[in-house]
Amino acid sequence: MLEWFANPANSKPLGLLIFFVTFCLIVLWVYGSRKRSERLEAHKNIPFLDDDNKDTPHG
Amino acid sequence: MFKKFTHEKIETNAGWLIVLTMFAISVGGLVEIAPLFLLDDTIEKVDGVRPYSPLEQRGRDIYIREGCYTCHSQMIRPFRDEQLRYGHYSLAAESKYDHPFQWGSKRTGPDLARVGGKYSNEWHTQHLIQPKSVVPESVMPNYPWLMSPLDASDVADRMRALRTTGVPYSLTQAEFEKNVKQFGEDHARMFHIPNAQTNLVSQAQAGNYDGDNTSVSEMDALVAYLQVLGTMVDFSKIKPEDLVKFR
Amino acid sequence: MTTTAYSAPAEQYDYEIIKKFTIMAIVWAVVGMFVGVYIASELAWPWLNFDSPYFSFGRFRPVHTGAVIFGFGGSALFATSYYVVQRTCQTRLWGGGLIPFTFWGWQVVIVLAALSYVTGYSQGREYAEMEWPIDILIELVWVAYLAIYIGTLMKRKQPHIYVANWFYVSFILATALLHTFNNLAVPVGLFTLKSYSLFSGPMDAMTQWWYGHNAVGFFLTAAFLGMMYYFVPKHAGRPVYSYRLSIVHFWALSFMYMWVGTHHLHWTALPDWASTLGATFSIMLLLPSWGGMINGIMTLSGAWDKMRTDPIMRFMIVALSFYGMSTFEGPLMSLKDVNALSHYTDWTVGHVHSGALGWVAMISFGSIYHMLPRLWNTQMYSVKLINVHFWLATVGVLLYIVAMWISGIMQGLMWRAFDDFGNLQYSFVESVAAMHPFYAMRAIGGLFFLTGMCVMAYNCYKTIRQGQAEASNAAAVAQAA
Repeated sequence: MLEWFANPANSKPLGLLIFFVTFCLIVLWVYGSRKRSERLEAHKNIPFLDDDNKDTPHG
Repeated sequence: MFKKFTHEKIETNAGWLIVLTMFAISVGGLVEIAPLFLLDDTIEKVDGVRPYSPLEQRGRDIYIREGCYTCHSQMIRPFRDEQLRYGHYSLAAESKYDHPFQWGSKRTGPDLARVGGKYSNEWHTQHLIQPKSVVPESVMPNYPWLMSPLDASDVADRMRALRTTGVPYSLTQAEFEKNVKQFGEDHARMFHIPNAQTNLVSQAQAGNYDGDNTSVSEMDALVAYLQVLGTMVDFSKIKPEDLVKFR
Repeated sequence: MTTTAYSAPAEQYDYEIIKKFTIMAIVWAVVGMFVGVYIASELAWPWLNFDSPYFSFGRFRPVHTGAVIFGFGGSALFATSYYVVQRTCQTRLWGGGLIPFTFWGWQVVIVLAALSYVTGYSQGREYAEMEWPIDILIELVWVAYLAIYIGTLMKRKQPHIYVANWFYVSFILATALLHTFNNLAVPVGLFTLKSYSLFSGPMDAMTQWWYGHNAVGFFLTAAFLGMMYYFVPKHAGRPVYSYRLSIVHFWALSFMYMWVGTHHLHWTALPDWASTLGATFSIMLLLPSWGGMINGIMTLSGAWDKMRTDPIMRFMIVALSFYGMSTFEGPLMSLKDVNALSHYTDWTVGHVHSGALGWVAMISFGSIYHMLPRLWNTQMYSVKLINVHFWLATVGVLLYIVAMWISGIMQGLMWRAFDDFGNLQYSFVESVAAMHPFYAMRAIGGLFFLTGMCVMAYNCYKTIRQGQAEASNAAAVAQAA
């Protein structure tokens, strides 16, 4: 079993596996809960919170 | 403890953001680079590949100084057309003493991995001074300044630096003996750092690469380098099957 | 509006350093693009090499890449990152004396690098040609940059770190990592610039292209995505389309980019498993890249009406389109069969420039045009000239890319063409001769882009003068009162 991981010929499926699992976890985490979604989406307004009064487009 | 750890921690803690980002960006490089150093089939075991002589190495330095790699590759790929045009595909072993590698990424001019021995010294000199005089359609710049004298004063220092990187140039008698066994006596003499400058001059005199034997020019060095490119391995003695497993 | 209302943010934030970097970004863009047009012309008309070592293509080409990537790109990134981090953290830049050090240190790096190339000192590694003393200076500047950035993030007034900063952080970290390992070298002596790289052959090639492609991936992509995630929403006046998508975009991009460098080494003496792995990840990279592009375009999509009147908006949308196009072309070229044709040809050069001119430069132009009037408290001198710049730049990129597509594919096909008897149909030099019209066309495309850049420099100069005049008038009025 361990040898399978050590063989460079298997690095491609291994890389894919690592990536795929990580990717799924991130996607699940990001989109999994509604409450979290709302919280995350609220952050998108940060650029508009600074106190520049010339922020309207075409400033 | 685990419950407390949320992504909120990462977003709100610069330290976590750095650690995790570091992790994400390190994996790829580790997986791809580390094995190259650890596996022993990265470089083929073939006879003939040797370090450059002092003159050739100085020629290589000039090759890098002039940025030849911006237009010429030194890496023949295993295709029929490249085989016909340039010769046998390049082996990893053939650049194992190349610090840095010069495989290149662009062929505005032709590949040079096996240019050694294809043209005469006169042709190279003429071509480097004025490429259009031998290849009218060429877009290569003229390099007339290569006829100026070669500064060979620091060649021993250069070889010493290369020795630190792992090139088997010899400083001691023991290292010299080892080179004699591995590369033969003639070559081993060339790789002996204490004699670097004498060796450089004698090779330039004997080779007379630029057609002017009164002094050692940069042209001598560069042509000596070009003439050795791709000539070290004798492919008539190698079975193709033996190379395939290294690809 | 009263002047006090305007001067408040200038005191709250450190704008001096941003102003300096912005000006130098414009200066290096003009210089770097001029050298680019010059070397492109050398390939079309070789007499331009003038038999001089200092102007010959081989030595001049790294001057071009250094000035545009590190001079223009680098300065634009320093400027925008310092702007974004202050405004999204609502705090003043941390760092004291380190801040001006990053500016002067970086400018010295660019100048020394250019001088060392033309005088014949080069590591012979693409985009990392700087010799070891310059590398050490870069390292110092970079550590200072990292300290400033993290220091500023630590004292932010906003609990959440906005996603643009994540991209900037990953760019700073990745660049530090890549720069350090790719430049490991043994100097010939303490008092000479010459050094030899620590690695050789395939290991050296692997390290160099791990660096080379990630210079594109993190320096020229991740960081400019940071720019995109701030300036696009800000300029459109709408928040980013999906913040969750930007999170997925970030982690996937950071993780995957580092794997793909080996696609520069297909069919070479590098072991096959490594280049196949690179190709696999290159294909997968299409997903996060397009996720990011869609996120940007959807952000702009609510503001289509402004497209007609606002050329800054046009810069942004065209930049995102080119980002989408070149991140599609890239995976395509990383396929081994396509790469067999495209590698070593001008197609690669065209691909790089569709990313560098179309995406990197265009998003920087948009961001600088947005930022400049805010830095100097004024309006852009001429919106009309921004529009002129936009069209010159767009036509220039298109000419460039089309020329390189044709010449690249033609080269690739000519090299592998056989006649009826199984011999090579063309000699190499026949392919060189066939390139001439396209090299000329490329130079002209570049000239368009450069002209646009000069228009921008003029427009920005007038804007700054105008801002300074307004400021001194306001000061005079205040004094008189």
